[in-house]
Amino acid sequence: MTATSESTHEAPQAFLPDFCAARTLFVIVLVAELVAIVLTLAAHEAGAQFLVELSKTSFFVLWLALLGSAVMCLLRNTLERAGKTRAFVISFFVLELLSLVLAEVSWQLVRFFGSSTIIDDTHSTFLLRTFAISSIVIALAMRYLYVSSEWRRSIVLEAQSRISALQALIRPHFLFNSMNTIASLTRSNPPQAEEAVEDLSDLLRATMSSPKDRSSLKQEFEIAAIYQRIEKLRLGERLDVRWDIGELPMRARIPNLTIQPLLENAIYHGIELLPDGGQVLVSGKHDGKYLEIYMTNPVAQGKKRGKTGNNMALANIRQRFQLAYGNRGSVDVDNSDNHYKVTLRFPMEEAAT
Amino acid sequence: MKVLIVDDEEPARERLRQILQDEDDYEVVGEAGNGHDALLLAAKHEPDIVLLDIRMPGLDGIETAQHLNELEHTPAVVFTTAYDEYAVDAFEARAVGYVLKPVRRARLAAALAQASRLAGTTLRQVAADANLETQRRHVCASVGGSLKLIPIDEIWCFLADQKYVRAEHKNGHDLVDDSLKSLADEFPDRFVRIHRSALIAVDKIESIEKTTDGKSRVVLRDSSHVDDKELIISRRHVAEVRRRLKES
Repeated sequence: MTATSESTHEAPQAFLPDFCAARTLFVIVLVAELVAIVLTLAAHEAGAQFLVELSKTSFFVLWLALLGSAVMCLLRNTLERAGKTRAFVISFFVLELLSLVLAEVSWQLVRFFGSSTIIDDTHSTFLLRTFAISSIVIALAMRYLYVSSEWRRSIVLEAQSRISALQALIRPHFLFNSMNTIASLTRSNPPQAEEAVEDLSDLLRATMSSPKDRSSLKQEFEIAAIYQRIEKLRLGERLDVRWDIGELPMRARIPNLTIQPLLENAIYHGIELLPDGGQVLVSGKHDGKYLEIYMTNPVAQGKKRGKTGNNMALANIRQRFQLAYGNRGSVDVDNSDNHYKVTLRFPMEEAAT
Repeated sequence: MKVLIVDDEEPARERLRQILQDEDDYEVVGEAGNGHDALLLAAKHEPDIVLLDIRMPGLDGIETAQHLNELEHTPAVVFTTAYDEYAVDAFEARAVGYVLKPVRRARLAAALAQASRLAGTTLRQVAADANLETQRRHVCASVGGSLKLIPIDEIWCFLADQKYVRAEHKNGHDLVDDSLKSLADEFPDRFVRIHRSALIAVDKIESIEKTTDGKSRVVLRDSSHVDDKELIISRRHVAEVRRRLKES
């Protein structure tokens, strides 16, 4: 079972503005009026005729803007459900259609009332001009909304990932167990206790001081190895980790604190619950453009750790991958009967030396 | 006082041993790395107190404690845990003895001095409060002085005689110490009562058939050694049994 689409952080956030709100309407009217002025300025000299032309153009543009807003307001729920890209495409075509319909209706009305001076154009050129102008303006507006919603989203994501980076620090469970191990070693094996204290300090330093958000694969694997040494003291023979990573470029960049939390998960949810322990396999491959890292651990059958699955670390890594790579990176989980496998995929970037 | 140490991690056992060595009143009679060994050693050495880690692979601490109750010489239990907000709250609430790791000398001495036997119901409540597995995954049978653990999912049915409850399972049958009522309460999803003195595992029921004299009888999957007479469904349980069978 692959849980690729499982979205852990996507808060329901609007990417289109609320077209039903008075504030948005005000801005839309304002923008529409500006567009009308630009159009009139481009086509006519300033003078007595200018205001007449402006009012005609404004009349048309405002109608279009208000009708467009009304339609968007009605479609709002459907669009939010449709997903971002589709919503933008749909809105574009709906608004485009609306502008053509409105142009046609105006043309027919003008002809019906017989005053040909209002629109000094042939039928087809009028429709064509309306179509061209509205396409450009609507496309620009859509692009603007898209960019600003992406921008808002990345701010939210960044804030979230900062907070959860704090939460995803080393599990207390691990910390206290390690302390207990050290307390015991202090008497029975002082040199080993010393080493354990040094390792634990290195690990805590790495997790506490991480203002930079990327590190190299080499550093990531080093931190994970320190973590492994500490857990090995506690679990002894039961813990075996195979690092099959010789092929990976050690200078490649990766969001920091990615590997160690995954190893921690593998041990906490996997190895620790198996009476005879097992092997965590870390492997990877790269094709020059993308890197893939896999971490696989056996799991005890029918046994869960408590009832609340702790997936905070995984959610946190997902979030930071999303922030760092967008659609170019992914964190997939393959949870089969007796194995748990995490696959990280991200673009290859070399660290500056 | 005789103490048995149970923890899957060697350094954790060592730590407890170190502290207890310095105490005059306590003698460590054994150490076990898992729940199964703990039960064997407890039957053999009859400790007064068992120091029991909660998080262990296989039989966890809570289930081990429940099985310790089946022993003739029931020991008192003190749990050890590194970090378990919920468990600690639950222990506090029900006055169950525990120590936190890293283990403090004074705290351990205090917990040992106050250690008491724990009733099965208390343990189940604690497990529920602590968000842990409340159902045992084995029942315990005492066979010739030693304990035998029978996995719940290998049991076809529990049948009560006047005095004993018999578990019919994959590898034969054994007498267990639990009462039929407590088993029914503990495993409501797994077993269904077919008459006053029989609980049947729902997933082991093949079908329900009519006997020649018009009664309903349970047909079990691949079990020949349960007497047909014991599988007659009493009239007041028929509807319930049918409903459960349909649901599963």
